[in-house]
Parts: sequence; C-alpha cells; structure tokens
Amino acid sequence: MTRKVAIFVPCFVDQIAPQAAIDTVTVLRRIGCDVIFPEDQTCCGQPGFNTGHWEAARPCAEHFVRVFSPYDTIVCPSGSCTSMVRKHYPELLASSPLGGDAVALGQRVFEFAEFLVRVAAITDVGASFPHAVAYHPSCHGTRELGIYDEPMQLLRAVRGIDLRPLANESECCGFGGMFSTKFGMISAAMGDAKAVSLEKAGAEYVTTIDPSCLMHLGGIFGATRRKLKTIYLASILACMDGTAASEARL
Amino acid sequence: MANASAIARESILLRITRANARGRRVPSAKIPPQAIFPPIHDVRARFLHESAGNLMEVFETADLSESATALESVLRSLPAGEIYVQDHPDLACFLADLKRSRPVRLSSQGAIAENSQAALTLAHAFVAQSGSILSSSMCGGRGASIVPPCHIVYGRAEQIVPEIDDALALAQRQVPEASYIGLISGSSRTADIEKILVQGAHGPRRLVVILEGQDPDFAVSRNRVNTVESAETFD
Amino acid sequence: MSTAAQEFLQQAEIKASDLEHRALIQRGMASYESAFDKGRARFADWEAARARLSQIKEEALASLGQNLVEFEKRIVERGGQVHWAETAEQANDYVVELARARGVKTVVKSKSMVTEEIHLAPALEKAGVTVWETDLGEFIVQLRQERPYHIVTPAMHLSRYQIAELFREKLGENVEDADPAKLVAAARVALRKAFFSAEMGISGANFLVADTGMVALSTNEGNGRLTTSIPPIHVVVTGIEKVIPRLSDLAVFWPMLATSGTGQPITTYSTLVRGPRTKKENDGPREFHVVLVDNGRTGLLGNAETQEVLKCIRCGACLNICPIFRHVGGHTYGAIYPGPIGSIFTPRTAGLREWGHLSYACSLCNACKGVCPVKIDLPKQLLLARRDFVATANVKPAERAGFAGFRWATASARRFRWIGWLGGKVASTVRSIGLSGTSFDPTRAWTKYRAPIEFPRQTFRAWWRSNGKR
Repeated sequence: MTRKVAIFVPCFVDQIAPQAAIDTVTVLRRIGCDVIFPEDQTCCGQPGFNTGHWEAARPCAEHFVRVFSPYDTIVCPSGSCTSMVRKHYPELLASSPLGGDAVALGQRVFEFAEFLVRVAAITDVGASFPHAVAYHPSCHGTRELGIYDEPMQLLRAVRGIDLRPLANESECCGFGGMFSTKFGMISAAMGDAKAVSLEKAGAEYVTTIDPSCLMHLGGIFGATRRKLKTIYLASILACMDGTAASEARL
Repeated sequence: MANASAIARESILLRITRANARGRRVPSAKIPPQAIFPPIHDVRARFLHESAGNLMEVFETADLSESATALESVLRSLPAGEIYVQDHPDLACFLADLKRSRPVRLSSQGAIAENSQAALTLAHAFVAQSGSILSSSMCGGRGASIVPPCHIVYGRAEQIVPEIDDALALAQRQVPEASYIGLISGSSRTADIEKILVQGAHGPRRLVVILEGQDPDFAVSRNRVNTVESAETFD
Repeated sequence: MSTAAQEFLQQAEIKASDLEHRALIQRGMASYESAFDKGRARFADWEAARARLSQIKEEALASLGQNLVEFEKRIVERGGQVHWAETAEQANDYVVELARARGVKTVVKSKSMVTEEIHLAPALEKAGVTVWETDLGEFIVQLRQERPYHIVTPAMHLSRYQIAELFREKLGENVEDADPAKLVAAARVALRKAFFSAEMGISGANFLVADTGMVALSTNEGNGRLTTSIPPIHVVVTGIEKVIPRLSDLAVFWPMLATSGTGQPITTYSTLVRGPRTKKENDGPREFHVVLVDNGRTGLLGNAETQEVLKCIRCGACLNICPIFRHVGGHTYGAIYPGPIGSIFTPRTAGLREWGHLSYACSLCNACKGVCPVKIDLPKQLLLARRDFVATANVKPAERAGFAGFRWATASARRFRWIGWLGGKVASTVRSIGLSGTSFDPTRAWTKYRAPIEFPRQTFRAWWRSNGKR
C-alpha cells in the first residue's frame, strides 16, 4: 500500500519532543506510507483558543487550513491537536471565509493510532518492546475523539510487551495546556496522583497518544524523583529490537 | 412588600419575554419515557425487589387475619407508647386489637404527636419501578409518614402500579385536593458522614408495608433485608 | 488579578498538597462512582434519558414566562402566596419582613443552594432570628461556620472524628468511637427540638411544576419533610429556572436526579407540596409562600451561548467527576457553587472580572460533559467564559503580549521558525548563565513543579531538512 500522508507536527513536539514525530514518520513509512511534511505549518492554535484568546488563535487556524487543504490525509502525533482541528475549528472559524474548508479538513485529519487502526486497518506494525507499560487514555483522545481501544489494539500486538492495567485510568493527568502553568499546584497534584496509580500498576513506562501529557508527567516524575519513564506510542511501535529509539525523550 | 413583588414580577417577566423572543423556538420533548426504563413484566416481583433494595420491610399476607398477625408482630417489636392511626374504614378492623395493647390516637382527633411510636396508614398506591409507596396528606396527615420512628403502611397487592409516571397520574386523579403528595422509598437515611449509610436520620428508621392479597399460598413471611449492596452511598 | 483569584491560588496551593484531604475525597468519590455506575445500569437507555431531560429543560426555558405565570396562578388558587425577587436583597427582605411580621424567633431550614447564594440565613440572623440548618451535612458545616463543601454532600471534607470532636465542643455530646450512627442520633435529638419549636420552615425546591402548581423536593433524611410539615409557616425560596412544564416530567427527572446525585434509584422522600393545609387536613403549615428569585438568571436567557447553564438541576455529578474538584475541594473555589458548573455559573452571574479565573481552573478533560444528566456542554461553556473574560476583563499584560506574539508568529512559517529558534536560545542561555528558576527564566512557571525541560539537539523541522526527507 502506498498512501500519501501529510504529517502535522504540533509546535511543542517540533521544539521539545521531536523524537515522537520522528518515530511517527518511521512507523508510517514502515507500513508503506509516503510521508510529507508541509514545511509551512506552524501550530493548530490550541494554546490561544483554550486560553480565551480566540483572536490570536484564528489567524493561526486559518494558516493551518491553508497549509493542509491540498492533502487528502493528514496524520498528527497528538490527540489533542487533532481534536482542535476536528472539533473546535468549526466554532473558531465559523465566520471565517475558510470556515467551510476547515469543517471538511477536520474529517481528513487523524490522530496517529486512529489512522493506523481505523484508516489503514493495521494493528501489528512488527514492533517489539519487552517492558512493563501502562497505557494512559488521554482526555481529548477518548472523550473528544472517541479513541478508546485503537491504541490498545496496537499495543497488544507488540512483541514482549507487558501491559499493566491502570487504576482510575480515565482521570486527567493534569496537563491541560496553559492550566499546567496557570494552576501549577493543581496540575502537579493531579500528575502526582497519576504517578501513584502508575507505580501501583507496576509500570516501567507510561505511554499515550498525547505527547503533551507525557511532557507534563515526565516533568513530574523528574521533580518527584520517580523511576517511571514516559514514551510516546509511536516510539514503542518504532522499536523493533526491544530498545526504545529514544528512551524517555519526552 | 406586595408592591415590590409586583414590580419585580413585571420586570422579570419582561426580561424573559424579550430574551425568549431572541431565542429559537423549542418543540416539546420527543423521547418517550418508555425508551428510558426497562419494561416491567411482573409488577409484584419488581416491587418486592426494589422495596428490599430501599431497606423497606414488606410482609406479604393472604388475608385480613394474616395482616393482623403481621401488624401485631411489628408492634410487639416497638417500645411502649402511643400509636397513631389514619381514621379510615379500611383500618377500622385493626383498632380493637390495637387498643388492647397500647394507646391509640386517630387522625380524626388531630395531628400526630411528637412522641408517637408508630403510625399506621394506608397508601394510594405502591410503585414497582422504584419500590415506593405513594402517600399524601390524605393518609393521616403530613406528619404520619415522617414524625414517628416507625411507619406502617397497610395495602393491597392490586394497588401496585408499574411506574412512577402511573403513580403521578393516579395521585392527580385520586387526591387532587391534597396539599402534600409524596413517593416514599424506604426509611429515612443519611450518608453525610464519610458516605456511610445510617438509617433513621430525621424520619422513620423503619418503613413497614403489609401487602395483602393476590398470592394465597404465601404464608406470613418476613421479607427483611439486612444488607443491600446498592444502598451504600446515600446522601 | 482579582481578590477572589488570589484567594483561589492560595487555597489551591494548600489543598493540592494535602494528601489526607486527597485520600478522604478519593474514598468518598470512589464509593459514589460505583453507586453511580450501578444506578446508570438500571436504565434501559441512559443516553435517551439524558436527551429527554435536556429537551424538557430547553422547552421549559423557551416557555419560562408562561410556566412561571401558570405555576403562580395555581399556587395562588390554593391559598399560597408568590413573591418575585429580582435580587438577593429583595428575596431576603421579603423573608425577613415576613418573619418579623409573624413574630418568628426560630427557623428550620432544609438544604437549599439558592438560600446560600442569596445569604438568607445571615440576613435572618441579623434580624434576631435563630436559623437551624437541618440537613445533617449542612448542620455540621453550620456548626463549623463554614460554607457547604459540596452541593449534595456539604460535609464530605470532614472525617467522622472531626465531626465527633465538633459535636463534643458545640453540642456537649460525647460520641463513642465517632460512630456515624451515634453521631446521626445526636444530631437528630438536637434538631428534633428545633423542628417542633420553629415558627417557620424554609426549603428550596428541586423543581417547580407548572401544570399542577407544585413544589418538588428531594431529600433522603426526611428533614425536608419535617421542615415543610411541622412549622406553621412554610417558605420556599427558589431560582426561577427550576420550573418544568408538567408533573409527568418528574417520572424521568426524579430517577435521573437521584442517580446522578448519589447513585440511588430514587431519593427516599420525593415530595410534592402545593399550598397550606386544607380544611380537610389535620396538619401542615397554615401559610405557604414561594419566593421566586432571579438574581442574574434572566441575564443568561435568550443567549444561545449562555442559556444552557440554566438547565442545571444541581445534582453534583460534574463536581464528583471533576479531577480539579477532587484535588482542591469545594471551599477553594470561594464561591457558593463549586466545581465545573460553579466555574460557569459564578462568573456568568456574579461577574467575569471578579470570577473569570474560575473558568480557567479546569484542564478541559471533558469528564463532566459525559456525566451531566441535562447534557450541558460544560467544557464548551468554560471555553466561552474564557473567551469573554479575555474580551472584557483585565488579562495580565504579559499574557496579552504573549498571545499577540503567538498571533504574529503562528500565521507564518518563517516567523514561527524564528520565534522557535529564539525561544530555544533564550532558554539555553538562561540556563547556561545560571538564571534557571529566576524571574528571567521563561519556563519558571513550568519548572516550579516539574523537572526542567530538556531541549533536544535539533527540532523536528531541522531533522526533516537534514535527513528526514527520503
């Protein structure tokens, strides 16, 4: 199968967690996708939108629509950014001349796991990762995009993986974008509660479809001197010899 | 005061009218309640199941003499003191026995006393869906079902209606004049302290139903449920 | 930053790190969650039930004026009195004046959030009236001179030992082993006296039924029943948005309210009152008053974006599921209505300038949206409140400048790359000259609670250019 796929790399992934996107490219290529990175892309606009600065987010969203409109399939290594485009652009760009294009585009932007399982119909990408891993279902992935089982299907097909069930799994990790800095103390307490659950689950790694959750959790693990490690889903799937290409890069 | 209220009334209603003129029209709710709750096939079985879940005590009796026996056994378990009885022909048959064992006050003599040990009343209906009794101020007054530590309700199995909806409609037909109507679903309770269930907060610690008829083979039995898992977290 | 915002941050700092509080609330919420799950399983179609409630509430709001007038007509027909109040002050004045006119010395109150909202009890006390909160949880927080912690379970932040200590101190009762049953019994004795001596009972309303002119009240303890049955005067204080069109609507509202609130199939006492005692009745109040309170509600009506807040039935489900509530608790919000619904209702009715910060105290996790029985899109409401806060209130200049920069940078890839490069340089310079964690460090808000961000050797963009394209 050769499918032309454009990837949207969220701003913070580009700057802080590039390995998540590199591993995304690796897996997409392994399953036969022709991956394109439209270099004019910037950000989805979520930081502005979620903080109430819609005037700041709108030109950014319009830019996104212009950059990605030429592509049939867009894959994004972030549930939250995918949700921004699919669920919130219609509202943000309601009165924009690009509003119609935005609605159509939302149907062509897919979160990475969603793309593999629902669009490409692949669950086994030939990965091997012999570690104890707990999956954290991210809020926007589950409750906004309805992605519940897809990442688990992918993880269950990984050789040697020891998947650990996580108590209170649906509870937010506490990232929440600007919430993480506006209300750092609450965000940190939520992250700490998640870390406690992860430790109880006996996990070595926590993975999810949102690198932003991992960026936050990694910071909490570091600050509270925990042994837990974070790894983005594609980084597990990119592993073929049992060692992560980028251990706890996030 | 009356004037202030009238001014406020006009002003609130005007704001509502203006606001709703801007809003879109909304049609009546379309989803029928039938789609919401599972069908009830056996109203008696359902009532017994739900009332047990609500920590009610239900005595199933075949006839009047069994009901009298059941009533007597409940009263024996109560401390000495007055019993309050709804003044109604259907309860008159129990009065002679009652008066032998303890002081009786009838609803026709006034409201229930603060220190009554129990109230014996009728109900308008029993509700299968929620295991409730449908009561009103016509059932011996408002206080009868809330003041004493024990409330005993005498009724017939034919009085069980399937759903809450049926009970509300029946109340409108039977007691359009009542100033109070209530569905009572078990004993008074609270879980305000550490979410731990405690029975007998402000109202009756016990709600007893003597349900007569329809099942002739059934001997007097005590359907008292001690632990019910669904009843752990009431507020 | 408003005073309320500063207080929120201070309280949040304390509560978020209070592990005892976290454990107590986690236990309570776990028990609620399992009951809620079982309760929902009793429905043939929970989603259909939510859709129906939402529709009924929308219908009720679209015909709010007619419903209120019909409700009023029926109440008056049966000898009750209806009083309308635009503000909290008007509502309080009416009740205080009534108490004064009837020589009321003692009032028993059943739980009512709207009386908290308008501060009725302090107004009565100022007029020399003793007010007894009779819901056990409310009674406990009243003894502690606190606000309710939660709209359904007001004292859920207290352990039984704290309550036993409180009763020893305030009621002179020594309760063995802090046994909950004995604590309840002690409160029952204290409040029983109040019920039978009070000259006025004040309740809220869960629903007002337009077609039959009834006030619906749901309580488990039975304090609502006693409040509305024993004292000679019953006053209902309620928000105007509580009115529903038909009595039959309760066949769905009652089970949904109970299930969402506590997981019960139905509340123990699902009560309807519609006036003073009649000539045929031997008890019940001789006077019946209903106070209809606006207090900012009509300001939300007719605006498609804000109106849905008025659908709320105060079940508390959004508080229970909210991870922020679970970590900071109900008092931290500093508002009468805590949790997600309060973070919308408070800024919308009491002012964005003072309360807008509450709309930001949310990680947008969307959990509340999934449990709301009347299908209020709470996360969307929070986003809209934030948008309006930015448009009308005082956002910090640094934040405004930051987003002006965001707007400028994200609309062009060239500018975006440059800003990214600059940001990385600033961060690494700050670190290399030892300014990490100081006010010169742009990542300080992040690193205050987290390990420093490790910037990679190259961005994805750079990787793509050097070896990503094949």
